[in-house]
Amino acid sequence: MFRQLWRYRSLTMTMVKRQYQLRYRQSLVGFAWAIFPPIASLLVATLVFHKVIGVESGTNVSYPLFALAGLAPWTFFTSAVSSGVPSVVGSIQLVTRFSFPRAVLPISFMGTALIDLALTAGIFVAYVLVTRVGIPLTALQFPLLLGIEMVLATGIILLGSALNTFARDIRLAVPILMQLWLFLTPVMYPLSIVSHSLRPYFLANPMTGVIENFRNILVYGKPLDWSLLTPSVVAALALLIVGTWYFGAVEDRFADVI
Amino acid sequence: MDALVTNNVTKRYRIGIGRARVREMTPPPLDRFFAKLLPKWWTKDTFNALEDVTLSLEKGSSLGIVGHNGAGKTTFLKVVAGVTAPTNGSVKVNGRVAALIDVGVGLHPELTGTENAYLFGAMQGFNTHAMDAYIERIVEFAEIPDLADTPLKRYSAGMVTRIAFATVAALEADVLLIDEVLAVGDAQFQRKCAAWLADYRKRGGSLVFVSHNLGLVRSMTEHAVWLDHGKVVTQGPTPELLTEYGKAMEHREEGLKSGGAKKLVKAAGSKNRWGIGGARLLSVHVDQDALDAESVDVQIAYEGSGELTSAVFRVGFIDETGRELGGAVSPNLPVEIEGGQVTCAMPLPLRTGIYFPVVSIITADGQVRDHWRLDRPVVVERNDGLGEALGPVEFGGTWAGSRNGSHA
Repeated sequence: MFRQLWRYRSLTMTMVKRQYQLRYRQSLVGFAWAIFPPIASLLVATLVFHKVIGVESGTNVSYPLFALAGLAPWTFFTSAVSSGVPSVVGSIQLVTRFSFPRAVLPISFMGTALIDLALTAGIFVAYVLVTRVGIPLTALQFPLLLGIEMVLATGIILLGSALNTFARDIRLAVPILMQLWLFLTPVMYPLSIVSHSLRPYFLANPMTGVIENFRNILVYGKPLDWSLLTPSVVAALALLIVGTWYFGAVEDRFADVI
Repeated sequence: MDALVTNNVTKRYRIGIGRARVREMTPPPLDRFFAKLLPKWWTKDTFNALEDVTLSLEKGSSLGIVGHNGAGKTTFLKVVAGVTAPTNGSVKVNGRVAALIDVGVGLHPELTGTENAYLFGAMQGFNTHAMDAYIERIVEFAEIPDLADTPLKRYSAGMVTRIAFATVAALEADVLLIDEVLAVGDAQFQRKCAAWLADYRKRGGSLVFVSHNLGLVRSMTEHAVWLDHGKVVTQGPTPELLTEYGKAMEHREEGLKSGGAKKLVKAAGSKNRWGIGGARLLSVHVDQDALDAESVDVQIAYEGSGELTSAVFRVGFIDETGRELGGAVSPNLPVEIEGGQVTCAMPLPLRTGIYFPVVSIITADGQVRDHWRLDRPVVVERNDGLGEALGPVEFGGTWAGSRNGSHA
């Protein structure tokens, strides 16, 4: 499947470009909309979690920077999953009329999510520059960690978009699941405030290791904590294998059932 | 060399959204396991859209597919295009295949015309850079101004079809599959497409053409196949096949009518059937010995009502555009209350083309009692090699030639 995807990479690029153009077409502010969601969630996190509930970063790092370092990778993950899962069904015009590797559709939404991530990263860098805290050298491990997160998201959207073609329940469940997942992952609060009795469950969550490590390398200057990351890597590889296998096994039928 | 070969292609669909979906989403090899374990449950609610379709198409030739709605025409194109996999059998295509299936709605309503063309190209494996070279030709062929900055949703179906056809024409595949596309466009664009397709085939391109418009099938293709309920009824040279198909349609039209008087009342007033009643056509049979026959025998069965004692019968022909070409009018004939038959041996002074019979019962006061435009075609092939540009009607005439200076 991946060899085929490589052969059709220009199609994937075209799809990414189109999706990005379409998203802001006929809107007045246009492209500027791309930077509002991360800023908005940062404001909500700071206002509600920090000021109202009194959540602290647990270290000497300011809460907004702490939250942004977790929200950026989380937003990437959630936007890739929630746009990737309905992608095959959403392209019914293409699926029922053309022969092309169907995986182009969910994968192209990874591309759009990556562009969004780049914008959020821009906000992060701007914040760091303005507040003069600087970015530690460990941030060089960013591509590796992002790679693990992308593998995890790819596995989920391949499996999810294939299943959603047969049962639209999947698409309806995704927003609910993603919201639950957000609150069960230490994105807007640190893992350190989770009680010891609950800690094992949190550590089993593959996104815990991803988010905590993003903070480690981007804010705290600590290298990747592989023991924390093990569940993430295992889940990412398992989902990628299952997702790729299932998608490849049933993609022939999409045009018939869509 | 064959451009396209299909071997015993069968396509099975599942009906319904409940159980059928559960079975569809079961991946191999689990599906084979369940199919063996619960064979009855597994094959429930299925139907074969295609069954053992075996045919081939030589490079540079063209194949028409005719059949009623649901005969499997579009499914066949989708299987050949690789949009959907056959349940059984194999499809082999030599070269790149492009399909124009159901293009009236376009690819994306929010994208502009050119962006749709780029996307279409990307689907065919042409990247943006490669498409840049073609886009000018596409815009020129489609003849639509503002193609670059109007979203597709603002265009009519006919314009969207133009864009799709222009794109396919520019990218020129080895095998082209066309489904009811030309029927959407206007006559002028239709001619342009037909001319392009003729050129394309001269260059060695192969064509599979599906249409309900038998006139287009006749003019676009040399060979044709007739599908019914997913099976090949027969295949052969297009004129012969259309004649055979026409005969079957005649039976079908009769079948419809013997469905009862009420059905006919409903049909009366439609484009193909109208009249004020008093006498009613029951069946029309056109007996044509050969494709180049000079005359035909027409048998008409009718039903009287007692209101009329006599009427004039007329058998005429129209061409594929609906233009009246003339016909034969009977003298005033008695109309029997209990119904009867009228036969007419008439000359057929028509040149190569496809024609449709029109039969009417008219009373002396000019009232049309029943008028019936039949769907079944009469195909005429004159082997004089003069083509079709000479008009539909042949006047005949007695000709003589002489040399200057000689006294005849």
